[in-house]
Amino acid sequence: MDELIYTLKQQIIEALNLEDMKPEDIDENASLFGEGLGLDSIDALELIVLMEKNYGIRLKDPSQGKEIFKSVAVMADFISKNRTK
Amino acid sequence: MMKHEVYITPNEVKVDGKVLNHNEKGSALLTELYRAHVGDYPKFFKMDTLSKLGFVASELLLQTEGAPRFEPREDRAVIFFNRSASLQADTAYQATIQDPDNFFPSPAAFVYTLPNIVTGEIAIRNKYFGETSFIVLEDCDENIMARELQNAFQDPMTKSILGGWLDCTAENHFEAKLYLIYKS
Amino acid sequence: MIVKVSDNIISPLGMSTAENYAAVKAGRSELKRRDGLWNLPEPFTASLMNREAVNEIAAQKSIDDRYTFFEKMIILSAAKALEQTDIDPSSDKVLFVLSTTKGNVFLLDKRETGFPQERVLLGTAARQMTDYFHNPNAPIVVSNACISGVCAQIQAMRELEGFADNGACPVDPNGKRQSHKFDYVVVAGCDVQSAFIVSGFQSFKALSVDPCKPFDANRTGLNLGDAAATIIYTKKDNVTENDWVACRGAIRNDANHISGPSRTGEGSYRALKVVLGDMNPEKLAFINTHGTATLYNDEMESVAIERAGLAQVPVNGLKGYYGHTMGAAGILETILSMQAIDDNNILATKGFETLGVTHPLVLSNENKPTDKRAFIKLLSGFGGCNAALLMAKGGVS
Repeated sequence: MDELIYTLKQQIIEALNLEDMKPEDIDENASLFGEGLGLDSIDALELIVLMEKNYGIRLKDPSQGKEIFKSVAVMADFISKNRTK
Repeated sequence: MMKHEVYITPNEVKVDGKVLNHNEKGSALLTELYRAHVGDYPKFFKMDTLSKLGFVASELLLQTEGAPRFEPREDRAVIFFNRSASLQADTAYQATIQDPDNFFPSPAAFVYTLPNIVTGEIAIRNKYFGETSFIVLEDCDENIMARELQNAFQDPMTKSILGGWLDCTAENHFEAKLYLIYKS
Repeated sequence: MIVKVSDNIISPLGMSTAENYAAVKAGRSELKRRDGLWNLPEPFTASLMNREAVNEIAAQKSIDDRYTFFEKMIILSAAKALEQTDIDPSSDKVLFVLSTTKGNVFLLDKRETGFPQERVLLGTAARQMTDYFHNPNAPIVVSNACISGVCAQIQAMRELEGFADNGACPVDPNGKRQSHKFDYVVVAGCDVQSAFIVSGFQSFKALSVDPCKPFDANRTGLNLGDAAATIIYTKKDNVTENDWVACRGAIRNDANHISGPSRTGEGSYRALKVVLGDMNPEKLAFINTHGTATLYNDEMESVAIERAGLAQVPVNGLKGYYGHTMGAAGILETILSMQAIDDNNILATKGFETLGVTHPLVLSNENKPTDKRAFIKLLSGFGGCNAALLMAKGGVS
């Protein structure tokens, strides 16, 4: 799981153009939206693409995103249970 | 009445006619200008090249103007012109849908496939509630641009315009000639 | 005053304004579900032109296959508006102002080889139109996201007013005065749907797979549509009671987010305030909204309308008949609103059933009678831009 979390952080940084960040800078338990990284609605949509592109997971309902993208740790957990790639 | 002018190409930066020294070229130049003159707006890195160009050019212009910043106002319009619309962003988005076997349309790329988005970025940064607009022409025609900018002052609330030519065809191919114009 | 001379709509509902108005009044729409169209993996609902039919009609006017479908639509619409008048489009007193968001964007697909790449440039595409009409003036293309259609009309109003009776001529940055004046401005808007546009909106999860439901509690997003629409404007001193006057237009930004509507409806509210001025809102027959049927847009418009003190004015939306026609929308929806008032009618908001926005608005899914003679066209677009246009039959006293 640690490896997945690290990889996921790298992928998030790349997909969301978080230019000056390194994986070490992201706390996997901090909230991605609101306080934490301060991501917005477009970032949420990009994370949905990231899940599909890298892990073959298609979200049936985009509002599921609220739960799944709570933090990197929650996201990694969801991915490990649902990935098809 | 025109006050202040900024000129940026992949190789050159001039503010009010004076050359600004820099080390980089192309899109790296835009990042260099961002870091040197702004630095506290990470959204910059999400922008397409046209928006980065407009953002950085507007920052240089507004910093030169020296007026108070970030106070909500409705009396300043942001009006740009170009030939290529959002071509660089369009090309980047097309790449995400070109291959049917690797089809992953990117919302972050798609949002920039409209030339006026850069006017929105500037409005958000500066809290400008006034008019924002974008006009595409065949060529950089100073007469037409002057006429359109003058026309914009017909909105009685508009007292100044951040306007000019803002074109970008690729990441390392762009030109900005922006000015601040005040109603006479 | 700036007055409408003629207009035209080309859409899946008809090739003329009259045909379109009759279809909309009768509640018709060509919004249909498309599965696998343009090899897109997800289905979508759209109102699309019958291209063969348009090609045939266009060819009769020599608008042939040297033009892309987008160019055919916009040239044909302008031609049909012009032929109702005795305006000579080749005159240098006629200016063409176009409104489009994506023009010939389909040419970016590497598989498209039928036209030179430079036709992707909106100015070059627009030049096909001015050349067709032998017009010597460089075309102006307004590309301001989905508000382009209203912006282009505001552009026209300014061009016609610009060289005002006080003789004020603009001065360019080098201090040179210009001396040009236009008698007519042909405002033509068009967008043609494609994989580029549809896939983009799908990536935003903004599309509804079913026919859209503006302002409805169960709305799930927008539909898309093809259309071209034209209005020709002129400046007239002696306005009659039957002349349609473009009274006031305004464009304002939310300064909030590049794609999400402002929770306070900031830009829409300010644009509404400007065009209302000190006019008595009781004179308004209706506000024709953007009404895309996304959760956020319709909510935002209800906030803006309420803030502007207009919550008691009937509100309607036309996206349920055409989908979102993007560059054409502002022009098409303004034309239909004029037709409605000419017919003493407030057009039904197709797709609306139960109010699903915070502020109670006066909406109906049935046509309603009115004897009022003014309306406001409201639009919003990506980039946080919003536009409002006040139109009044006979002008505003």
